[in-house]
Amino acid sequence: MGRKILLVEDDRETADYLTKGLGQEGHGVEVAANGQDGLFRATDGTFDLIILDRMLPILDGISVLKALRAANIATPVLVLSALASVGDRIEGLESGSDDYLVKPFSFAELLARVNALLRRRESRVDPADHRIAVGDLEIDPLSRIVRRAGKKIELKPREYLLLEYFARNEGRVVTRTMLLEQVWDYHFDPGTNVIDVHVSRLRRKLEDGFEKPLLHTVRGAGYMLAA
Amino acid sequence: MPTTLRIALLAGLLALASNLLVLGFIQWRTHDEAVSEQRRQVVEQGTVLADVYRTGGMKALADGIADTATYGDPQTAVALFDRRGVQQVGNLAAMPRTKGQIREGYQGALIRFEQQTTPREAAIVAHRLANGDWLISGRTVGYGLALRETLERSLLIALLVSIVLGLGCGVILAQFVGRRVSRIVAVTDQITARDLSRRIPLAGGGDAFDRLGQQINEMLDRIGALMEELRMVTDSLAHDLRSPVSRLQSAAHAAAETSEPGERDQQLGNVVRQADSLMRILTTALEISRSEALTSRGQFSLFDVGRLCAELSEMYEPVAEEAGVVLRFHPTERPVELFGHRQLIAQAVSNLVENALRYGASGETIDVTVGEDGKQLSITVADSGPGIPANRRAEALRRFGRLDSSRSAGGAGLGLALVRAIAHLHDGELVLQDNQPGLAAILRLPERTAQPADLRV
Repeated sequence: MGRKILLVEDDRETADYLTKGLGQEGHGVEVAANGQDGLFRATDGTFDLIILDRMLPILDGISVLKALRAANIATPVLVLSALASVGDRIEGLESGSDDYLVKPFSFAELLARVNALLRRRESRVDPADHRIAVGDLEIDPLSRIVRRAGKKIELKPREYLLLEYFARNEGRVVTRTMLLEQVWDYHFDPGTNVIDVHVSRLRRKLEDGFEKPLLHTVRGAGYMLAA
Repeated sequence: MPTTLRIALLAGLLALASNLLVLGFIQWRTHDEAVSEQRRQVVEQGTVLADVYRTGGMKALADGIADTATYGDPQTAVALFDRRGVQQVGNLAAMPRTKGQIREGYQGALIRFEQQTTPREAAIVAHRLANGDWLISGRTVGYGLALRETLERSLLIALLVSIVLGLGCGVILAQFVGRRVSRIVAVTDQITARDLSRRIPLAGGGDAFDRLGQQINEMLDRIGALMEELRMVTDSLAHDLRSPVSRLQSAAHAAAETSEPGERDQQLGNVVRQADSLMRILTTALEISRSEALTSRGQFSLFDVGRLCAELSEMYEPVAEEAGVVLRFHPTERPVELFGHRQLIAQAVSNLVENALRYGASGETIDVTVGEDGKQLSITVADSGPGIPANRRAEALRRFGRLDSSRSAGGAGLGLALVRAIAHLHDGELVLQDNQPGLAAILRLPERTAQPADLRV
């Protein structure tokens, strides 16, 4: 399902590459090449998502973001930045963005985050106590009880959080960085395969004794929970 | 206007002003003294004669006046006039001329001595006697005036001399200051032009110029150290990036040359991995610089270090298990709170754990311990692997100072350097100790539960 995305990016090459890639995914992309133009279009248009570069001519990304939030425009914003330090990421998130992605990034990572943000927007009505079902997997966020085909699966607290995040993004690719940020709330890049180890543990608990796989590895991108 | 001239003029002006003040004071005081001395003498003489008249009558007074006129100094004026102004006895030719009517008491007047034609200025005292006669006694002011004039001339000369001396002192002072300043300027010029190793020579007296020179020297030392560090970092970065970049290059070439799709996918995956590791090195190097520049202190907050370490231990526990090591967490009894950068402390602890997993996995255990003694808290990550010999621990803390020469073990040798930079950001330190066997990396941080003013950047 195509959505309207505003891309505020002054680098032509990146803008073309993203426009093409997101276009192939069925999204309509409008490009603004500087912060002022970006802010103008963002206040005027009805976009589902804004992808905002941090370093822009005329008006920088963080200022655009603050102006948008000050004007009560709640469109989800994904900030792109070449500033990669932990402090920069936190500053980006604290200034009102919904997600922060460091350049250079893989298109798969960007797409996963774009989809997660678009999905979050449409599922705002989804109350937390609603049971989540993925195939024969059933998750109760209130009691945190997980059953597959009626059989209870024992999970540790963090494993449960991991599964719930996967389930809320059912059918969408979730990257390792997204998991680290969303499930563990860490914004640095661990050197080891720590996320993979946790995911494969969760997978074993979900899939051992069942024929049909649920937690899929998406090569070069991350993981996906799908029936 | 050159500074030297300005200093000389300023010194001269200051000397002039202060001398004017002093001389003015002397002038005012001596003038006043001279006048009051004369007044005292005149009044006394008048009182004496009036007393003579009261006790001895007119006859005694006439004798007294005659004596005074005869034996007094030439300034003395004394005479008795009848009510019509005719002189009875004394050395004055006529009644003194005053402004308006003559009155009793002390006053200024013009008098004329007998056998003289020119009237002279004088201070007199007039007494009206019982019979209506006027007793006049006084002194001409010529002597006091002359004294005053001499004094004023001397003061004027002194003033001129003081201006000359002041200017002279100013020039000497200016030359002294100028010499010291231009010596500093000469050195700073050389430093600006080419040679950062030059230092300001100190006179050794510990005066303001020495202090200035010392400050400049310390500043230069700091700049020199920073530049040396920067040079070392860029050198090591360039050196260390050489191998990942060349690996990336060869992976890309391999991917480009193969025609078999499966093989190509594998090679492309390799390209992405190499690029990732390159990015990681750059990000970490940047993170180290940021921490050392203390720019992230604005993001400090209060958090429970014990809980953070528990979470991280839980996160790495499965990784340790897969590596065949038992990772144990030893908490404190009560929460250990720290005012610091939660994300960076998490990264530091995670780096220490990953380091232990990477180099100490041949041992059986990795212990993560949180401790505090009221003044500082410590986070210890201890492994039971081969450890690092005492003489090579300093090297291990340096950027890119990885001990094994092979690059196959992963990581770019920035891990411990980053932990140390994060410790520095929190005014703490990273200590490497022997765990017998193995390595104990201890992150010591001063306890802080609120934001002191000196932490704001």
